[in-house]
Amino acid sequence: MSKIDEVRDYELFIGPNHPGIEGNFSFKMKLQGDKILSAKTDAGYLHRGFEKLMEERLFIQNIAIVCRICVPDPDPNENNYARAIEEIAGIEVPERAHWIRTLVLELSRLASHLFGLGGHVATTGLYAFPNWTIADRDRIMELFEELTGGRVYHIYQLPGGVRRDFPDGFERRVLDVMDYIESRLSDYDDLAINNSLFIKRATGIGVITKEQAIKWGVTGPNLRACGVAADVRKDDPYEVYDKLDFEIPTRTEGDAYARIIVRRKEIEQSISIVRQIIDKIPAGPVWNKIPNPLKWKVPAGDAYVRTESSKGEYAYYMVSDGGRNPYRVHVRGASTTHGVHVLENLLAGSRIEDASQIMFSLDACPPEVDR
Amino acid sequence: MEYAKENSIIEMMQTEFPEAHFTVKKERRIEVKMPSGRLYDFAVRMQKKWNFLHLSAISCVDWIDDGEFELVYHFWNYDEKVLVMAKIRIPREEEGDSHFETISNLWQPAKFFERDIHEMFGVYFDGSEDMERFILTDWTGPPPMRKDFITREFALNFYHYREYEPQWLKDMMAAGEGNE
Repeated sequence: MSKIDEVRDYELFIGPNHPGIEGNFSFKMKLQGDKILSAKTDAGYLHRGFEKLMEERLFIQNIAIVCRICVPDPDPNENNYARAIEEIAGIEVPERAHWIRTLVLELSRLASHLFGLGGHVATTGLYAFPNWTIADRDRIMELFEELTGGRVYHIYQLPGGVRRDFPDGFERRVLDVMDYIESRLSDYDDLAINNSLFIKRATGIGVITKEQAIKWGVTGPNLRACGVAADVRKDDPYEVYDKLDFEIPTRTEGDAYARIIVRRKEIEQSISIVRQIIDKIPAGPVWNKIPNPLKWKVPAGDAYVRTESSKGEYAYYMVSDGGRNPYRVHVRGASTTHGVHVLENLLAGSRIEDASQIMFSLDACPPEVDR
Repeated sequence: MEYAKENSIIEMMQTEFPEAHFTVKKERRIEVKMPSGRLYDFAVRMQKKWNFLHLSAISCVDWIDDGEFELVYHFWNYDEKVLVMAKIRIPREEEGDSHFETISNLWQPAKFFERDIHEMFGVYFDGSEDMERFILTDWTGPPPMRKDFITREFALNFYHYREYEPQWLKDMMAAGEGNE
């Protein structure tokens, strides 16, 4: 082995805190100079054993647990959990509650996309942009606080509906925030999305072809950036998505830039969905009373429910054996594919300076992987 | 006809898998129970012939009273927009791992799900490239998602309760304040 070979190949441990991801997650990389030869994910820093905890708690108690599975986008968890119980137990949900739930899910998607956009752009060194998006995301957090009492975790969607109705004047404030975020989009474009520095850094990075995307099990905005117009909201509609008019933005390039464009366009769609909901939401009760939750035995059965989270397909498989606790809850986060083998496949062959951008462009969420 | 799409899919699959038991659970959800030996063939057909290109998840359920693990494979078809849940049961080994064949050569996402099931339930998937520990790298106990692993019992044995009664708390209680 020559002297140059000895110093050229090396191993690098990245993480668990680093700019590429929204939580604690690490990688063992083999490098040759600045080229990544292979990368292996190393997870478990955020493992809290939620699936096991849920088996030992009452159905109602778990509502406070499930939202913690994905921090930036918690509401798909609550929605999946509530819908799985409703499907197994055959509980009807009032019409107005379906609309409110859809509103909450879209606000959550907006908040998460703002977070994701800011984080992605920050990996290229443009630090003004994330400060803007995080500050704007806070406007949505304030809406959540008003509606649910919680900023990050809402514990709002119960089996049978939602916990409480809109406060007075809430609709007006939601529309104001939507107007505000819409007015900010052109600023976002000027500062980051159409910024030639950012375009140069993001184009052609972390390319996934359409065939690879299907083969690797990519879902959500990452899949739509490869030219596949698949979205659980359209394909397997839940709540009131089949009554709303919205588009599925797609791109065909499959690179980091295509992924941020898809998310940027989804923000517009979500704003439009929220406005339609405020416009069309029917009056009525928001919760159908369920049996005494402390003694409630959900009948035996199983259900596989899916939502489209801001990260992709989010599914719960719930089994009840007729007892007071769920017998099994399996959480299938979108990041279990994006954060593990998709990332490993993309990192191999790319350069070390692009690694954190590739990670953030997939918008993988470590707490979903670890559970 | 109700569930026309789902029933036509079942009809198509039933001819090749007469021993499997199909039911429509609801719109866009089909459940199938089959002997475990047929699952690999079924998975091959699903991907290569019936166009179920997306493996959504593999779930494992520990039916301890029956002495069995249930593996549930969730397949999604992007064109037909139908999800098929294929359920099989394998014997539950008390000591050491249960074994089943991998489908990770067909679906890349299966690699993660199988690795997770191995770690949490102790089901070894023969033929998979990667069955290493992923989340519980330092764990030496039994697979924790098995029903006979009781979290509370483990916590009581592993950690120690310590009474916490500092003097200031005693004084406070004596003065009639605090929780009591």
